[in-house]
This record gives sequence, C-alpha cells and structure tokens, in this order.
Amino acid sequence: MAVSNRVPVLSRLLRMIGEGAGMTHGLPCLTAFFRHRWRPVSPVAALLLLLPLMQGCGLLFDAVHQIYPVTTNELDRICRRQQVQVGMAVEPFRPFVFPAVWTDEGARVTGLDTELVRAVSDALTIHCGAPVVPALHLVRFRDLFLLLNEGQLDFFVSAVAAGTPSSGRAGFAYSTPYFSQGGIGAIATRPEVIEQIQRRLRTDEGGTARERLLDGLTIAAQDSTSAHLYAEARMNAARVLVCDSLPAAFEHAAAGLSPPVDVIIGAHPVLDFMVKTTRRDWRLLARDDHTPLRFTQADYAVVMAEESYTLRWFINDVIFQLHESGRLEQMRRRWIDDAYAYPRRASAEGLPFDVQKMPAHYAQGTCRAASPH
Amino acid sequence: MIYRPWLPLITLAIVIGITPVQAAPPEQQRAEAEETARLLAKLLQAGRLVIEQNQTLIDDPHKGDKGFTPEVFERQMYEIFRQRTGIDLSAPATTTALAMPPLARTHLPALIDAGKEVVRDAQVVINQRGIGYKNFIPATFGSQTATRFSKRSQVRLKQTAIQPRNPKNEPDEYEASVLHWLSGRPNSDTYVSELTESGRTLRVMMPIYYQRACLVCHGEPKGEWDISGYPKEGAREGDLAGAISVKIPLQTE
Repeated sequence: MAVSNRVPVLSRLLRMIGEGAGMTHGLPCLTAFFRHRWRPVSPVAALLLLLPLMQGCGLLFDAVHQIYPVTTNELDRICRRQQVQVGMAVEPFRPFVFPAVWTDEGARVTGLDTELVRAVSDALTIHCGAPVVPALHLVRFRDLFLLLNEGQLDFFVSAVAAGTPSSGRAGFAYSTPYFSQGGIGAIATRPEVIEQIQRRLRTDEGGTARERLLDGLTIAAQDSTSAHLYAEARMNAARVLVCDSLPAAFEHAAAGLSPPVDVIIGAHPVLDFMVKTTRRDWRLLARDDHTPLRFTQADYAVVMAEESYTLRWFINDVIFQLHESGRLEQMRRRWIDDAYAYPRRASAEGLPFDVQKMPAHYAQGTCRAASPH
Repeated sequence: MIYRPWLPLITLAIVIGITPVQAAPPEQQRAEAEETARLLAKLLQAGRLVIEQNQTLIDDPHKGDKGFTPEVFERQMYEIFRQRTGIDLSAPATTTALAMPPLARTHLPALIDAGKEVVRDAQVVINQRGIGYKNFIPATFGSQTATRFSKRSQVRLKQTAIQPRNPKNEPDEYEASVLHWLSGRPNSDTYVSELTESGRTLRVMMPIYYQRACLVCHGEPKGEWDISGYPKEGAREGDLAGAISVKIPLQTE
C-alpha cells in the first residue's frame, strides 16, 4: 500500500533526473538547477548526492521503513511498539463492557472483556520481554469492524458472537471462544406481549419455527450486532427497529415512541444481566419450565484480521491457558454471578482508554425502522 | 540619562514577586507557607463543591453535552472561593497581589489549571447520554486534581480520611494522628498547621465534614453498598469525612 505509492515517486524522480530538462511538471526548480549547473554529472551521481536529503521527503528511507515490517509478523510489531491496539464498543454491553466512568485514576472502562484484554496484554508482556500496554479505542460497535479492516486495531472484543453469517463479517477471524452460552435472547416488558409469546412457545412443539415466535411484533436490536443481523435475515414477518445502542432501545420503549417496542433482542447474557440489575421492569423471555429462550447458540470470541495468524495462535493460547487454569471460569463467575458495583471495579482494575478516539459527546443514539428486506 | 519612572516600580514588583521564601525570616516564611496551604485547601474544597453542586446535571442520563466545560467549572470555582475567602481570583493579578502571599500566587493558578484539566479530560465521561451515574464526584475529582497538581509542584496536596475508600489516600502517621484528633472535636472551620521534620516541612490539614448531599453514599444504613459499590460509612451530617492535607517544604539555611 504505502510502498506502492511511494516507490513510483522515486522511480519518477530518477527518470526526471535522467531526462534532464525534458520535464514539463513537478520540481521545476530542481530540474532547472540540474540543467544549468549539473548537466555533466551522471544521474546516478546526482541521486547519490540527493540521498541524504531524501530522508525527510518520505522517499527512500520511509519506503524501507514501510517494507521492513511486512517481513515480520503482527506479534513482532506489537512487541516493537510495546502497545497493542484494542477496540471496544463505546455502547455498554454489561457485564462484558460497562460504560466508561471517572475514577481516582482518570477515565476507565471495565468488564469481563477488559479483564480478558488485561490477560492478553500481560501474556504479550511476557512474550515480548518488555511491557506491552493495551491502547483501548472506545468506538461505536459498528465501527469496530471498520477500524480492524483499516488496520487501526490489532483485535477487538465486545461480546462478539463468533461465526455470525453476514457479508459484513467477511474477512475477519475469531479466536477460540472465551465465553459460551452466548446466543440471542429476548426481553419484553408488557404482560400481553409476554403472554402472547409464551402462548406461541407452547404450540411450537418441535421448536422448529423459533424465528416465527415474534411474527407481527416490533423488535428492537442494536445496529450491526448479531441480533440485528439475525432479525434481518430470519425475522421477516416482524417489524425491526435498528437502534444505535441497547440503552436507546430502552429509551425508545420508555418514551412510548412510535412504533412501540414489543421485544428487545440482543446478546442473551447481556439482557439477562440488565433485567437483573438496571432494567428490572423488563423480563427475559423463557419457556414454561424457566429455561431461557434463545434464538441462536453462540460463543464469544476475540476478533482479528483474517491474516493475523500468529496473533490468533497467541490469543488462542492465552484463552486456552485461562481455561485450563480455571481463571476463565473464575472471570465468568466474578462478572456474571457475583454481586458488585462496576465503578468500584473500574477504580481498582479498569483500563484507561484513548480519550481522543472516543466520541466527545457519546450519545446512546436513537432507533429507526430497518430498511425493508 | 533618560528617566524612567516605572523602572523602580518594576524592580519592586520583581523583588516582591520573585523573592524566594528562603530570603524571608523563618516566622514570615512559615506564615506565607501556612496561608498558601490554607488557600490551596480552600480552593480544592471549592472545586469539590462545584462538582457536588453540578452532580444532578453530570448524572443526567437524558442529556448529552452537559455544557459543564472547564471554563464553566472555573467560573463557579472562583465564585465559591471568593465567597469563602474574600479573594477574587478572576480579578487581575495586581488587585489580588496584596491578598495573597507570593507563594500562593504561583500555586493557586497551578491548582486551577489542574482542576480544569481534570474537567476537560472527564468530558467524554460526563457527556455520555444514556448513562446516569458516572462516578465523577467530588472525591474522584479531588483525587485526580490533587495528584496532577502535586506532580508539577513541590507542594503535596492530598485528600485523606481515617478509612479512605481509595487506598492511595491512606493517611500517613502524621495525618492519621491529626484525623483522630479532629474526629473527637466539634465541626469547625479551624485547621491544623504544624512544622515537621525539624522545621523543614510545614503540614496543614483542613478538615472536610459530611454535608447532607454526601450522605446518599456515605450515610445510613452502614455497610449497605452505595451506587459506586462501596459500603456506606453510616455517617451523619457534620461528621468528619476526612481532610485535605497540604505539605510544603520550607527552605532552611
């Protein structure tokens, strides 16, 4: 990329020097200088004289710098910069990613996913033999894929379901799962809606038409999440509202905006956590036997570029070791089952983030009708 | 020779403004340091109070840009500081020069800058719409401001308490003894000032007392978690909450 658009500049310069006065555009002063004073000097000698000046022009030296890293792998690059670029959703996915809060140490973000990021950077520190710090970029969930695609991130986490079939997810690779029992769940607040869905559940004996349970209802889902993609792909008989965040869906429902939200679908563990902590007026949809109603089965994984093979092996290894040592289960219990208040954990163990990258006035956003199928 | 009538005035101003503390006699040096410490503590308290007075706005989940900018914060802090000390920091330096010792004239602006910087950095947190409690409270504001100020100055500023929530605010031996002494005394505006380390350091402790608004997180029932996840202290209005501790090195021969 950068090499390909720089080397032609260099070759063009060589050609220009070789051609002497035959230039019609670019660097007129330079050619005039050669024409009048240095005509007897060979082009190669002239180039050699110019070499020391080229460094600042972004020519030869920069080109060498650009080529060099290509020969190394992404782990070496992380070690060399002693920083790993990590993306996280600015919209809360409690308990995986909590909203950013202010602490005695400054702005911090915390959650199960930040603990995982810390574990990965600790392992990178050991691997590199030098401290590797995570540089957190808190951006919109939908932008995480974009930033990773642009090479601005080494990886990202935010309760992302691995293997979601969508064209928008092509070109990305996933680590081995760090959290199971993901999948898409649903919550509702109005008794008549809950009753209607449970009635349908009772008649859906084989459970074969799961996606038809919400037919005719208005469903809210966060933009670009697997719940949104699922709704678009499978819930053709439901009215889908795309929301910028989960809190936006709650706000839309609470404000009584039209169309009224019947059901919010999203990551099952996130919805489960919310109805137990901050949104007690909503109920997680379950069967009569109280087993949770899930629309999909999914595991959460770390997302990387497809060609980041070395990094993927490394992160898989970290997750495997966390699993083997029992720490992964301990993390799950700490964040899912235990009672705690996240600001305190943010103070004690939260990660700082790049304030410049975060939207200055983060807003939970709004909901709008999805474009027709 | 050209007569320049302003030259002696400038020379005098330079002498007054730059004369190091060590040139003054020990009593004057201590007095200057003590007044500076008192004003620094008052200014940090004023900053904390601004945050407290804007808490509802900061925690408003329905509003994005709160308009609580560093400049707004600065203006409100000046006003509270003026009400409490009679010194108007927004006035030109020449008018406040007589009300403050030279040492304070350099340190108070540095503390104001630290406070504004904290408010500036917290904008991304404060301006989140859809998020209520953000933990941007007087205590977390004060900790960061004191830390940033202390890093750039020889003066050490710290919030401390007998049982602080933040382990970094744990009192040292001197602070613990003063806090215990203060806790047995009625609520008052008095502060403690002492020379320590054989007169090389001046320590000032300005007590902070719980006000009604503090009790949401620090009041009854004792042990129950507050919104930030810490157990409530079971405090009552007027109880000693902690102190602002100031440590100023004195120049000795």
